[in-house]
Formats: sequence, structure tokens, C-alpha cells
Amino acid sequence: MVKRRKTKDQASTDYVISNFAGPYVKWILLIFSLVGVIFPLYWLTLSAFKLDRDHRSYPPVFFPSEFTLDHFVDVFSKNQLLGNLINSATIAVVTTVITLLVGSMAAYAVQRGPLGRKTKNLFGLWFMVQKMYPAIATAIPVYLVMRSLHLIDTLLAMIIMNTSFNLPLVIWLMMGFFEQVPYELEESAMLDGSGFVHRFFHVILPITKPGLVASAILTFTATWNEFLFAVILSINKAKTLPVVIAGFITDRGLAWGPMAATSLVTLIPVVILTLIVQKDFVKGMAMGAVKG
Amino acid sequence: MKLQKRRSEKFACWAFLMPTLIFLAVTALFPLLYSVYLSFFRLKLNLPNQVPVFVGLDNYVRMFSDTMLHTSTLNTLTFAFISVALEVVLGLMVAMVICSDSMWSRVATSIFMIPMIMAPVAIGTLWRMMMDSSTGVLNYFLSFFGVEGVQWLADPTMAKVSVLLVNVWQLTPWVTVICAAGLKALPQDCIQAALVDGATPRQIFWKIVLPLIKPVLVIVVMMRFTDAFKVFDTVYTMTNGGPGTATEMLPNFIYKQGLKYYDAGYAAALAIVFVLVMAFITLFFLRLRKREEENVW
Repeated sequence: MVKRRKTKDQASTDYVISNFAGPYVKWILLIFSLVGVIFPLYWLTLSAFKLDRDHRSYPPVFFPSEFTLDHFVDVFSKNQLLGNLINSATIAVVTTVITLLVGSMAAYAVQRGPLGRKTKNLFGLWFMVQKMYPAIATAIPVYLVMRSLHLIDTLLAMIIMNTSFNLPLVIWLMMGFFEQVPYELEESAMLDGSGFVHRFFHVILPITKPGLVASAILTFTATWNEFLFAVILSINKAKTLPVVIAGFITDRGLAWGPMAATSLVTLIPVVILTLIVQKDFVKGMAMGAVKG
Repeated sequence: MKLQKRRSEKFACWAFLMPTLIFLAVTALFPLLYSVYLSFFRLKLNLPNQVPVFVGLDNYVRMFSDTMLHTSTLNTLTFAFISVALEVVLGLMVAMVICSDSMWSRVATSIFMIPMIMAPVAIGTLWRMMMDSSTGVLNYFLSFFGVEGVQWLADPTMAKVSVLLVNVWQLTPWVTVICAAGLKALPQDCIQAALVDGATPRQIFWKIVLPLIKPVLVIVVMMRFTDAFKVFDTVYTMTNGGPGTATEMLPNFIYKQGLKYYDAGYAAALAIVFVLVMAFITLFFLRLRKREEENVW
């Protein structure tokens, strides 16, 4: 009974909020924003499967009578997209695993470790500033260092840099999640003789799974889509998907079909991943924004 | 016994911190210091085995007379202010509209998430395709309204608008998702009480929802504003700063100085100033945020 009343309240509150400017504005806004988001995505998908002659026709072809897989075949055979796909996947997965492990350990140490208040605040501020500062600031020195270490055009260089970008965010996110773990839980584990390391892996991590999932997906997408350092540090062997997409822009114009096909190949994995864990993702992002 | 235990706790704690500290020191702090060092030298990246020449503050002095830099700073500021304003207003409105627990609102949220997880490079190229002046689909739509042949990316003013438009498309969904999470966490009883008192939805929005959601909005504005300064991928793929310097933004400008004109010293000096300015903005926002922090959710 109580539960039902609560859901009814909720519904009417939502109704009030969503009708903030009357029902007309509500529906116009909803339809426009949905069409605005969906249409470009539809256009991308369409362009990936369209025949070449339909690309340059005017008026544009909205519902082609013929579809083709040529663009996909093209990019995978001529441009060796498979190699780039493997690069992107390797970099993203390895970065995610390292960042998650190292980052959540640091977050736990700062949040619950026996450190002084001042030390904690100092680390907190450092990670915060780190999260904000523009990647371009370190581009030139990183390029120089990587060049002298002969790491240009290697996956290792990319993994190192992506880990560096994502660590601060993951630390902040995980600190927020660890903060919510009740102290009593840790105390009782401590009384049972559980040490710092054991507590972290067996008591804390299992109950902060949503945080780990959110951090993982955020790190994965950010790394998967990363472009600035990918374009600076790769020449040929270590090219990732975004670099390939940008490569279709040439002086002779854009190769639309292959470009759309590559974009679609890039987009689909992250969409699937995000949809699977949408709830944790949204929660993590909201927390990352508000707490971080 | 107890002392020993405490000592081992402390040791473990620092052992947990060490990988991060070492990693960030090597990959973030060191390059930054290296930038400071480089900024006092003249170094051309394209000439092999070149020895850096000490030039003192020359690289910094040069900024005052670099009109390209002034233009791109102005462009970046304009871009940041307008894009953030548009995204926050639009994002909040859409968030309120989709605020409900029903099935369709969850579907709408999923759809809105796609632009935000899409590679910015792909977004840039996709819109470049749609904004083609002769066969682009946007001009086709506009032709229904009697507007013909808009030069989306070739005309200086339109190019600015285009870059803004694409940024709004890319990041309004982010604002929407965060605001929607904030709206769901609003205390129900205030709104219910106002309803009982006979308030209209409009009054409830201005008098209750907006003040309650304000802390979230402040944080969203901060994050979007600091991020807007870093816009690179979409600009790089859509216009690469052109036509002329119409859409030249700071990250793109620094990138060009360093990796197109190979002027490492000047690029490093620019990067240092950029970081300092960003740090100031961040600290300013942090102080602002401390005041709001207690009110969040």
C-alpha cells in the first residue's frame, strides 16, 4: 500500500517537472531533440551502406533502393582496418585494466588509509588539477621523450599516455564510491584480523562493483575515442580507429563511404558496451561530475 | 604487537599509492616541467640532432605580438561561453522533459547517450559530410525554407556557427544525463506540497525545481566550461581552424605551432600559459564549488 502511494507521487512529480512550460513545449522539445540526435546517426549508418553514386547525388538519397557492403569490404581489405581495430581494442583494454587496478588502489589509500588529513587533501587537489588540465600541454615534451626512447608508433606509448589521462578521473570516481562504504564493515573485518590489502580485495572491492563498472566503461570509451595523442604518437603500426577516420580527410575531399563505414565500426562496440551497463554508467558519470 | 600492525597498515597504504604517484610524476608532472624548460629555448623539431638554443623569455614576449594567438584566444573564449550557455539551457530543458521512470524515457536516455560516447573525430567527419555545401543533407533541408547554398564550413561566420552547432549536438546529451540524474534525486515532498497549495508547473519550476537543481547546474557549468577550452578533435576534423583563422582555437593553435611548424619552444611556452590560465579557472571554480558542495543531493 505504502509502496503504491510512493510510485504515484513519483509519477505526478515527474509529470509536473516535465510539463514545466506546458505540454506543447514538452512535445516539441522532445520530438526535436530526438530527431536531432537520431537523424545524423541514421545518416551515418545509411552512408556506410549506400552505393557510391548515391553519395554525391542531389537531392540526397534518404531511402536507397540498393545497399552495399563494399565500403566495409574496402576498409578491411584495402586499409587493413582489422589491424587498427586490434590496436584500438588492445590499447583500450590494457589501459582500462591497469587504470582500474592502480587507480582504485590509490583511491582506497587516500580515502581510507592511515594518512594525515593534510596529505589526503594534497593528493585530492593534485588529482583534481590533473583531471582538469589540457592534454595538449604535455604533447610536445611527451613527443620528444617518446622519440628519444624510440617508443613512437608503439602500443606501449599509447597505453602509457591513456593510463595517465584516465587515472585521475578513476581515482576521483572510486574515492566517491569508497566514501559510501560504511566504516563498521571495515572495522569488523579488521577485528577479524584482516589486513589492509586483504580488506581492499575481499571486503571493499566486491561491494563497490558499480563504481568499478562505471570507471571501466568511462576509461574504455575515453581511450577508444582518444585522438590527440594517437595522432601525435602513431605513424603507421600503432594507428587507432579515430586516426584512420581522420585520415579519410584528404586534399581531394572526403572518402564518404569508407569513412562512414569506419565510423560505424568505431561506434558500435562502445554503444553495445554502454547499453549493457547503462545504469551503472549513468550513475558513475553523474557521481564523477558531481563529486569529482 | 599493535604498533607493528599499525606500521604494516601504513606501509600497505603507501604501497597502494606508490604506483599512481610514480606513474603520474613520470607521465604528467615531468612533461610539464620539461615544457617549462623548453619554453626558454628555441628548438626546431624537424631538424635532427638540433641543440636547443637558450633564448630567455623570447617565447613569452612573442605572445604579445602574435595576432594569430589573440584571434584564437578570442575564438576560444567566445566558443566556450556560447556553447556552455546553449548546452546547459537546452540540456536542462530536455532533462526535465524526459524526467520519468517510464520505459520510453529510458529508451530516450539511451539514444541521447550515443553522441556522447561517439568518437569526436567521427562526429566531426559525419557533420562535415552533412554540411557539404553542394550535396549536403543540411542544405537540402534548408532549401525547403527557401535558403539555398549555405557555405557551412567555407564562410568564416558560418564556420564558427557550425563548430558551435556540432559541439552542442555532441555535449548537450551529457548535460541532459547529469541533470536527469539530479532531477531524479530531488526531494519529492517540496513539489508535492506546492502542488497541494495549487502551484502551476511553471511556478514550481522557477520557485522550487530551479533553486534545488542549482548546485548540480553550477558543477555542470564548471565542467563544461573547462572542457570547452580543450576542444580539439571536432575542430581538427571539420575546419582545422579555417577558413583563415575563423575557427582557430587554442589547443589546435598550440598543436600547429608544435607539430606543423615544429616550433617546440614556442609551443611549450604557449602550453605553460594555457595550463596556468586553466589552473586559475579551476581553482576559482573549486572555491565556488565548495560553497555549493554541501547542498548537492
